[in-house]
Amino acid sequence: MKFVNRFVDKHGTGHVTLRPEDDEDMWHLYNLIQEGDSIRAPAIRRVQKISSTGSVDSQRVRLNLTIKVTRVDFSSSAAPSTATPNDAADASSSNQPDATAALHISGPVTVENQHVRLGAFHTLDIEVQRDVRIEKFEGWDSVALARVDEAIVPGKGAEVAALVCGEGTAAFCLLSQHMTLVTHRLSLPVPRKGSASGATQHEKGLNRFYGTLFESFLRHVPYSNVGLKAIVIASPGWVRDSVYDYMVAEASRRGDKVLQKALKDKVVKVHISSPHVHSLVEVLKSPEIVSQLKETKFAREGIVLDKFFKMLGTDEMRAWYGPDHVVLAADRGAIGTLLISDDLFRASNPVTRKKYVGLVEAVQQKGGEVVIFSSMHESGQQLLLLTGIAALLTFPLDVEVVEAEDKEEAERLRLAKEGELDGG
Amino acid sequence: MGSPAKVGKKAAPPTKTAPPAYLDQSQLDLSGLNLVNKEVSKAEEAPKMSFAHDKLLEEVRKSLDAQRKGKQALSLVVIGHVDAGKSTLMGRLLYELGRMDERTRAANERNSTKAGKSSFSWAWSLDGTSEERERGITMDVALESFSTTKRQITVLDAPGHKEFIPNMISGASRADCALLVVDASTGEFESGFERGGQTREHLVLARSLGVAQVIVAINKLDQVQWGKNRYEEICALLRPFLTQSGFHSAKTSFIPIGAMLGVNLVACEGEDAKQLLEWYQGPTLVDLLDKLEPPSRDITAPARIPVSNIFKGQGSGISVSGRVLSGVVQVGERLRILPGDETAVVKSIEVEEENVPWVAAGSNAILALVSVDSVQLTIGSVLCPPANPVPLALTFTARILIFDLQVPIIAGAMVELFHHSRDVPASVSKLIATLDRASGKVVKSNPRVLGKASSAEVQITIRSTGSSTRPIPLEPYAANKAMGRILIRREGETIAAGIVMEVLG
Repeated sequence: MKFVNRFVDKHGTGHVTLRPEDDEDMWHLYNLIQEGDSIRAPAIRRVQKISSTGSVDSQRVRLNLTIKVTRVDFSSSAAPSTATPNDAADASSSNQPDATAALHISGPVTVENQHVRLGAFHTLDIEVQRDVRIEKFEGWDSVALARVDEAIVPGKGAEVAALVCGEGTAAFCLLSQHMTLVTHRLSLPVPRKGSASGATQHEKGLNRFYGTLFESFLRHVPYSNVGLKAIVIASPGWVRDSVYDYMVAEASRRGDKVLQKALKDKVVKVHISSPHVHSLVEVLKSPEIVSQLKETKFAREGIVLDKFFKMLGTDEMRAWYGPDHVVLAADRGAIGTLLISDDLFRASNPVTRKKYVGLVEAVQQKGGEVVIFSSMHESGQQLLLLTGIAALLTFPLDVEVVEAEDKEEAERLRLAKEGELDGG
Repeated sequence: MGSPAKVGKKAAPPTKTAPPAYLDQSQLDLSGLNLVNKEVSKAEEAPKMSFAHDKLLEEVRKSLDAQRKGKQALSLVVIGHVDAGKSTLMGRLLYELGRMDERTRAANERNSTKAGKSSFSWAWSLDGTSEERERGITMDVALESFSTTKRQITVLDAPGHKEFIPNMISGASRADCALLVVDASTGEFESGFERGGQTREHLVLARSLGVAQVIVAINKLDQVQWGKNRYEEICALLRPFLTQSGFHSAKTSFIPIGAMLGVNLVACEGEDAKQLLEWYQGPTLVDLLDKLEPPSRDITAPARIPVSNIFKGQGSGISVSGRVLSGVVQVGERLRILPGDETAVVKSIEVEEENVPWVAAGSNAILALVSVDSVQLTIGSVLCPPANPVPLALTFTARILIFDLQVPIIAGAMVELFHHSRDVPASVSKLIATLDRASGKVVKSNPRVLGKASSAEVQITIRSTGSSTRPIPLEPYAANKAMGRILIRREGETIAAGIVMEVLG
């Protein structure tokens, strides 16, 4: 994302102008823009003019529109969940590795111009290389500003391609700082070994699977891209070795030098326990990957989430989750690391957002660490399943004791209030 | 071993005749667009049902009674730690019982010696794929059958390697009884029995899947000079664990064997068995197999067949293999495939490499299906009568028993759900209550975490894969026991087993 300008005063009012450049920037914008904000961006609108004689003249006009957001839609270019070989063939024609995510923002126009009436609805289709000006309805809070700072860091393109496979199934994933995109899923029936069907059907099925996998790999993994740091092949059993060997053999058979080099330099084989995409979390925990990618955000998220689960196993009183409990822990200044999903900040209700922003600020003030998980990553998805918020405490606290304390406190306050009333 | 292809060919119904050369172009277009009514075009292929349902049940009962006097059929899963000698034992047993001919044996011996793996020569009769032979381990379940004097036994040779537990689960869910093979050699038994060893995990899994009878074969005793002390030491270690895992002591038996040499399998005699005979006069393995009791079969319930394998059968159709969990199925019957909206017609049924007109609960059968596209079938699909389909579940409640785990289960925990041959990503979406293990009474409702060795009622939600979420066929345990058992694994460890209480949709 290119940073164009920023006019934000100390109270948080003002606007920021950004120029998105890739899919990930769309995701950043999606996280920044909320209901009620004012967005100014270039748009193409069909304008109808009725002349005095009654003939209708319709024109497409490129103009800048400012709208008050009522809805934000984001769609990553995720692949369909199951793809038969036929689908795979169809996809070949239309697919590009850098397929674009789409961000649509709709709302009434708030600044009138000569073509569009005030209050007319428009849906802005945010495009790359076009400036977007964002003015926050509730003012810029610390989380939003931090997001802007994060988004405009140049040259962070630490991209990793991951191939999660099992016998007959494969998922192609592209990991960037804030997003995991499943670009393609493959599922081919491989007859299992069984004395009745014989071994040949099994082997034939496997070979067909490897062949399809190879074709999909060529299409869906931008292996020649310099920005691609690593290609992870992950699977249970020994499928990854067979897949790798097949690809190397096939690449040399076809004389594809670029692919051969990429396979040699970039491939990391990782063991996982199940062929599902959620095993990506295991990939990110594995030592082979951690050593290569520990700087990246997704690896960091994976490590922190793992720490949380481990803490839950060893000392339950230092691992809390759920919004109410985490707030209680924050009140006591106990939070060492706060794990929070960016999904919570996208809450359309400003009060909810404010609550979480307040929580993040409170933890940071007390010297705690805050890790904001991207809900487009597998780790973020898992955090979201655990209510989206969790915390590692610096000292053990018993949930039940704290809850009881809190109740007592509330009771005391109520009594004090009543007493005041009686006194007055 | 008789080649299945040969037997199949002998008995296979007439295959589709080759299309005539002068095909009408419009016909071709129609069929290309799938416009031809499938019923009509395939009607000649699909045989008619020969029995009314009541008649069929009567017939089945009669034949089961007859079986009780003769040979009763049951299926046996062979489990145990990797390299305990499961496949070798089965290979040797098949040979001893005359199910493997001398030529196959000699070929296996020759080829395995050529590959420098002569110790795997017996296992090669079950480990058929080249990768299995190369690595010298079983990777997927092999299905074989043999008969003893009193039993007709279907053997499922499960892989022992930790990586292939999903396949082992698929095998164990098709079995009535288990044969646990334990390596007696020094250090090997211990490594299989310690935490994370497969001796332990397989037993727990088999029990959770409803296997109640187990024979423990203490193998490789020849490597410890047939030491009686070693045999008894291992029995003493296993006994309490078996009881703790829920195997009744009356339904477990122990036996010393030497699989490679063929000692105490069919007979206990000869030069190799001398040392064993000094202290052992008990039954042979086959004697014990003869004593296995087949569980009662529920033939009146609606038919349920979870598909464990799909392959191209003889001729044009697709064949699926799987175990009939309940009910009966006959040739010509139309079956619904779940999940999905499709049905298929049973063209022929093969049990133990023989064509049969019907198959009843308990049998592992191969069904040849017609009037269906192979896309509709996946491993894990369930076949059932169209009038009585299995409910599809996205969310359901279950009572689970939690095993040894390092990270406790919390609401929202990511797990893999195993149900017969299917595994899907799921999450424990709600912790409803912790229960008392013995009485099943609620100890605490809405617990925050579930720790190890506890029992609980939870809500489980199937997780979406990509854009769509596919529900899976599941039935409450109360309605159908075999369809209501689930296993929960996480990061390669089995963390809980349970039964489905209620399907919420």
